[in-house]
Amino acid sequence: MTLFDLAFRSMRKNIKHYYLYFFALIFSVVLYFVFATLQHDPAVLAQNEQMSTAFLAAGILLIFIAGIFVVYANSIFLKRRSREIGLYQLIGLKKRVVARLLVIENFLLGITALILGIIVGMLVSRVFLLLLMKLIGYDLMIDVSFSMTAVIQTVFVFIGIFMFTTIQMISTVYRNTLLSLFNTEKTGEHPKKPKTRNAAFLAILGIALIVLGYLISDNMLNDLFLFNILAVLASIGVGTYLIFRVTIGWVFYKIRDGKAGHLGLSNSLSLAPLMHRLKGNANSLTIITILSAMTLTMLAGAYSFYYATEHETRSQMPFDFIFEKNETEATELSKEFDEKGISYTHGAIDLLVLFGRMEEGAMPVPSNELYIAIVSDKQLQQAGSDIEAPADGSAIFYSTSSISMFRDVIEMPLTLHLADDEKTTIEIAEYAEGNSINGTMLYSQLVVNESTYEQLKDQFTATGQAEMSRVDGFTITDSADLEAASEIYVQRYNTSGHIDYYSAYQRAIETNGLLIFISGFLGLVFLISTGSILYFKQMTEAEQEKKSYGTLRQLGFSVKDIMRGIIKKQVFVFGLPLVLGLVHAIFAIKVLSSFFQSDIAFAAFVAMAMYTFIYLIFAFLTVGYYRNTVKNAL
Amino acid sequence: MALLKRKSKTTDQISKNTVLYAQNVRKSFGSKGNVQQVLKGIDLRVEEGEFVGIMGASGAGKTTLLNILATIDRATEGTILISGSDISKMKDAAMAAFRRNQLGFIFQDYNLLDTLTVKENILLPVSLGKMRKKLAEAEFRTIADILGIADLADKYPHEISGGQKQRTSAARALINQPSMVFADEPTGALDSKSASSLLGTMADINEKRGVTIMMVTHDPLASSYCSRVVFLKDGNIYTELYKGDKTRQAFFQEILNIQAVLGGESIDAL
Repeated sequence: MTLFDLAFRSMRKNIKHYYLYFFALIFSVVLYFVFATLQHDPAVLAQNEQMSTAFLAAGILLIFIAGIFVVYANSIFLKRRSREIGLYQLIGLKKRVVARLLVIENFLLGITALILGIIVGMLVSRVFLLLLMKLIGYDLMIDVSFSMTAVIQTVFVFIGIFMFTTIQMISTVYRNTLLSLFNTEKTGEHPKKPKTRNAAFLAILGIALIVLGYLISDNMLNDLFLFNILAVLASIGVGTYLIFRVTIGWVFYKIRDGKAGHLGLSNSLSLAPLMHRLKGNANSLTIITILSAMTLTMLAGAYSFYYATEHETRSQMPFDFIFEKNETEATELSKEFDEKGISYTHGAIDLLVLFGRMEEGAMPVPSNELYIAIVSDKQLQQAGSDIEAPADGSAIFYSTSSISMFRDVIEMPLTLHLADDEKTTIEIAEYAEGNSINGTMLYSQLVVNESTYEQLKDQFTATGQAEMSRVDGFTITDSADLEAASEIYVQRYNTSGHIDYYSAYQRAIETNGLLIFISGFLGLVFLISTGSILYFKQMTEAEQEKKSYGTLRQLGFSVKDIMRGIIKKQVFVFGLPLVLGLVHAIFAIKVLSSFFQSDIAFAAFVAMAMYTFIYLIFAFLTVGYYRNTVKNAL
Repeated sequence: MALLKRKSKTTDQISKNTVLYAQNVRKSFGSKGNVQQVLKGIDLRVEEGEFVGIMGASGAGKTTLLNILATIDRATEGTILISGSDISKMKDAAMAAFRRNQLGFIFQDYNLLDTLTVKENILLPVSLGKMRKKLAEAEFRTIADILGIADLADKYPHEISGGQKQRTSAARALINQPSMVFADEPTGALDSKSASSLLGTMADINEKRGVTIMMVTHDPLASSYCSRVVFLKDGNIYTELYKGDKTRQAFFQEILNIQAVLGGESIDAL
């Protein structure tokens, strides 16, 4: 039997342990290949430069994730096989030969995964391209051309990763003694009685740090925004680690101590083994929690952007087209619309532009001075808007400048002083979302009713404290005409620097579509990596505990009884990182949501639900693996 | 009909004191064409309070018999009653419950759970039962005192010696007050001093608490602690020896004599 035969046989024998690793490997190759294909696809390149760059950047990130994942998974599998490696040496194979055996195996496995991955990648990349085009709003039918560059790129990247795993294998063979190879499987820790005072302090500190992080994140919208972000990340990161490293152990110890030996079967199968592996699991559970939180935030954020695109654009640009101080152009545009048979509403809006001053401390911004345009709601309505101003003397405030971050924080109503006049004030009843007039202007807007408007206009034009300006607003009646109308506008005023609603929407959906595509892609890779790593670790634990399950079966515990304890353990192993990750993400998204004009709760919820669903598949796979192990233990 | 008749007959034969009754137990392994009969029709009856040793050469079927009687394995044929329950007709789940409530086990390699302390290991079998915590605690105290491991309650298996581990295993077997305790080579992994100390304790428990014990061993010294020794040869019962009023030394000598006739033990002893 040649070494090659031996390698082949041992692979066939180990396929039970390998298959998930193998699938994960193929999956990594498929995803990377799809990315590489899209990066070089002429259809994508034709869209715009920025898209190809985005794919390149995401591809590099993907290499890192795939690399770390493959190397980590390989180390888990090497540990499981250390006894086998030792056995080869025990029967007299030279280290060199054993190393070569492993390298051949690795090579066979890698090449197969690479070939299969690229084939599958070719089949699915068309689907992904169509998905991308749909997301960014193009309905063209595009053929994916076969990209040799993508193949070569993928092969190079994964050969690089396989080199790492090969080095890893060789060093396992050469750097370990026989004894340590035979004992790796046994290296469980034994829980020590925690030093009560220290442990209690650190345990509570862990919880306190997380709570502190949440508290800061809830009030982080102030001058120290960047500092706050760092503080939140640090306290939540350290807090999470302490939770897994100390708090859990401490709580478990307390519970177990309280049982005074009457632990019961289900705790014996959950609490006790968890306590024995706490140290080894703390790092990976912390990383998985943080990764989950980041992925969830990224996914929820990207999906929110995408989901809110229309709403966001519309709230910035309530009119389909506007002209500033340009009556002639407005008239010409309406003429052309009339010719083309596009029905619309057109109205002129007079702006009373002046300075206003907030009362000290009313808004958390350095300057209380605001540049304001006062408009009448009636004129807005004539141009197609549906804004209605409140009673005489009060106004609705619109501003999409940087203070809009504080929209939910600022207390209403508040008083605004107009011009330098100490006496003339207006009450702001509400800080409304978005703009009242397309946000091509620098000023905030105050919408008042007509009589208030007329009164203020008379007063300030007389004193010369305000300037007058004019905007022509257009609203297209039938949204089906929007595209045609936009084309006319763009052709006429392409160079004027002004943008119409429809073009802005198209641009935003393109960017956000790309964003959701890439983050969805990366999120999936993160999710599958973390899920598989948890699964691999649990698989190893199941093997290590197989003997205990056999004993329990002999003592007369049914598979069902034993599974109850094991499920309890899985609820902890999978559930805690997920729940903590979700809560972290919820707080992060709350911060994120203040950058949106619209409500993103629904979009964030959808993203989180999908993440949780896929994540739980891994938990179910794990429980299935345990059930098989327990069934076959007797 | 014939089956029914036979069943009623067997029930008649069982006296009140019989804990275990086995009739015509057969076990074969392998599939069609290559069937290997390991047990060829064993009849056995164990009375309450007996300490039965099962001896025989390697391959005589001792462990197979123990596993079948202990409901871990199923017989191909035959009837087995323990405390009046017909275990050969039980479903898997019922058998597991029966094992948990009625039987105790001591294994050669202790089979303690590494992640549990001595006390947690011992109390494991009562964890799903109805035994109240107070009662379980009292039972634990008594048994741990008898076995001399009360001081080790909070230690983990890796912190104690082999003999102590086996005592823990024995305590676990006794905690649920079983009808019968099965021991598979309990001294197999122990040095001679720990072995005789453990066997002494087991004999003591058998006598004082009236616990019925069945022990598989290949060690004549170990079986000299029993009240009866059953010898197996090629899947059949070869002979039986009762200790009666004999001293342990005399009984030991008798066992050795039978073993010499049986042969094959020399291979096992290696």
